[in-house]
Amino acid sequence: MSGGTSPIFGNLDWNVTPYTDLLRDVNSSTIVGAGAASVLVLGGIATLLLFSWMRWWGPLYRNWLTSPDAKKIGIMYIALALVMLARGIIEGFVMRAHQATALGTLAQPEGGLVAPDHFAQLFSTHGTIMIFFVAMPLLIGLINFVLPQQLGARDMAFPVLNQVSLGLTAAGAGLIMISLLVGQFGTGGWTMYPPYTGKIFSPGEGVDYWLWAILISGMGSTLTGMNFAVTIFKERAPGMHFMRMPLFCWTSLCVAIMLIYAMPALTVSSAMLALDRYADFHFFTNDAGGNMMNYANIFWMFGHPEVYILILPAFGVFSEISSTFSGKRLYGYTSLVIASMSIAVISFTVWLHHFFTMGQSAGVNIAFGIATMIIGIPTGVKIYDWMATMWRGRVRITTPIVYLTGFFLLFVIGGLSGIILANPSIDYQVHNSTFLVAHFHNVIIPGVLYGMLAGIHYWFPKAFGFRLSETWGRRTAYLFVGGFVFTFMPLYVLGLMGMPRRSPTFQNPDFMPWMYIAAFGGVLMLCALASLTWTFWTSYRNRAALAVPGGDPWNGSTLEWSTPAPVPEWTFPCIPQVTARNEWGERKRAGDPWQAPAEYTDIEMPANTAHGLLIAIAAFALGFAMVWHIWWLAILSLLAIPGMVALRGMRVIEPTIIPAAEVEQADRRFRQQIASLTPVTRADEETERNRGVPDISEFAG
Amino acid sequence: MTKPNTGALDPQQSANSEIKSYATGFVVSLALTVGAFAALLSDLPATWKVALICVAALLQIVAHLRNFLHLSFSGRQSREDLLLVLFSVSLLAIMAGGTWYIMSDLSGRMHQASDSNAATHDVPTR
Repeated sequence: MSGGTSPIFGNLDWNVTPYTDLLRDVNSSTIVGAGAASVLVLGGIATLLLFSWMRWWGPLYRNWLTSPDAKKIGIMYIALALVMLARGIIEGFVMRAHQATALGTLAQPEGGLVAPDHFAQLFSTHGTIMIFFVAMPLLIGLINFVLPQQLGARDMAFPVLNQVSLGLTAAGAGLIMISLLVGQFGTGGWTMYPPYTGKIFSPGEGVDYWLWAILISGMGSTLTGMNFAVTIFKERAPGMHFMRMPLFCWTSLCVAIMLIYAMPALTVSSAMLALDRYADFHFFTNDAGGNMMNYANIFWMFGHPEVYILILPAFGVFSEISSTFSGKRLYGYTSLVIASMSIAVISFTVWLHHFFTMGQSAGVNIAFGIATMIIGIPTGVKIYDWMATMWRGRVRITTPIVYLTGFFLLFVIGGLSGIILANPSIDYQVHNSTFLVAHFHNVIIPGVLYGMLAGIHYWFPKAFGFRLSETWGRRTAYLFVGGFVFTFMPLYVLGLMGMPRRSPTFQNPDFMPWMYIAAFGGVLMLCALASLTWTFWTSYRNRAALAVPGGDPWNGSTLEWSTPAPVPEWTFPCIPQVTARNEWGERKRAGDPWQAPAEYTDIEMPANTAHGLLIAIAAFALGFAMVWHIWWLAILSLLAIPGMVALRGMRVIEPTIIPAAEVEQADRRFRQQIASLTPVTRADEETERNRGVPDISEFAG
Repeated sequence: MTKPNTGALDPQQSANSEIKSYATGFVVSLALTVGAFAALLSDLPATWKVALICVAALLQIVAHLRNFLHLSFSGRQSREDLLLVLFSVSLLAIMAGGTWYIMSDLSGRMHQASDSNAATHDVPTR
């Protein structure tokens, strides 16, 4: 940042990497920083070498990066989220390790593993990554993969737009990742409240990294929301009325609506902050008529619906798995639909509870406090519905059910601490303490993370053709449950003892026992991450034994289980005619569900295109250039994006046609395979005898 | 699924009316934008300027929805479109009304004693 802005390299120079920090001053903080950057660099190099060695670049480009297939896009979203999850969990562990060593003394008031400024970067990136680049891609990926299959649709309504959305999200994630190596990240927390994040108090590139990552990926999420909504309204199979849609589709619809109406608020607040920082506006400054309180207001207008954007897909997953693994019909379908829609709408009326203590009068606080307590009611209805679904069912304790049980036990505690916080007078006592940190981790980890991992476990065979190892899956689930309990329950206690959140240091020795317990929980979370990785690896190695070509390993009742595993590009050989709510289950009840369609037709699929990839590259270049004030690159990439869109609009693009003969051949092979496989009973579901063809006489859903 | 899902219109036939609709929308939007800038540069009192710009913005939203996004209250999709508009308006009312409620309350508590300086802020004052 020394000297002026170079016309070619902007503010970039050789002093921006953590290695220069390390050379200047060797301590644990710079070692951690340089270590993290080295992991990124070495990981990048290792990936490059692996892909070159295995000659994967061609297939990666042809089959994945240029594919407009919603299923593949969904898988790529989830892969992105899992990479970011690894970074997020490791950062969380470093923070726990830091606080376990951060007891200040009179002689040395500041201590601990990392420097205060480094700690602030850690909690800022941790929050940003976990919300925007783990939770969001996980749920968007899962919806992309599952939604068209459950609706009986061939694909999303706008396949190429879908690609662009993925590209924009990946570009945002890339900006966050590169901030590890080039420059610093912001220190204002994941919410980046001004005036602290304004130009006067945070002059460097850190806040800009956040702003551009959020602006770019937020745009992607808005587009995704529109894509989901149009798909649900326009692409349902004939006969798939709204009240016949599986619950996961309903929660996806709620998510789509909330994405469309909530994400623009984030874009607006970030854009206003960007204008403050780049163009000397005064939206949120202290002087010249700025009002920083309006930032909190607009940000949380997005932020609260966001919480429910995260949790509702998990609710959808839990609705599916509680029914499937209990061998029972979902209890209270209509009440679950009404509850989901109520949550979607009420979530727009509660945002003020994130800033109860900002200084508004009691009447305002009470109004929003009451709204906050009301939103707990539909969530309670759902919990009872799932428990009633499992009641007296033949519950198989598979991995998703372990997650569901963990969710039942822990999420309710998190929800109740939320109801406590909804009371403004209590909120005044514990706001900005680790009690709050414990609360939101207590809803997000058992809610979103468990739900998404359960969903990944449940639908994994559909994507790759083999089940995940149940043994390792359950071990991972237990570790995540244990890790959560040990990490975050102490934070409730610490919060009540008066420990402020985001403290790089503290002086009260009474905190230490709880800090050690929390640090132990952090170790368990790391183990859970390792176990999750091992689950994928060991399942991949045993893929022959775990293969389920029949495509219905759990005796499911929704349409996605009627196709082979892995599901072909065209999903359904012939778009199904839906006659009942649990269409696949009703077909099982009626006798042979695997009947071939009467005739096969040519299938039209969207052609592969590099459009999304190119826009992602341009968006990343735009963000990076703006962060470092490389104006020529910023202008170039800003013009490139609408240019590419216009260019594509002017070209006639032919779809790919899959001939009827090819579809027929593949489908007949699948039907013959079904006939040759031995049906598996529920008792044998976890054994190698499960080839994806269930004993339909056992179906009771 | 080779059937188009856009209502199976003859593209050649609808192209004319489509272009007309887009052109109208473009001209109207352009006029409203120029009008907003004209209002800003004029010598009108500040309140009038703000009001004119807001009205121009709202009209432009209507023009976009009608001419570019094909929103209509007659025809095959009228019910869906009506629900969409009602839902959007109610959510926007919650957001805008809530902001007004919160920010005017905060502003009242912050600037009650101060002079008319507060009135020039972008926050509505009581």
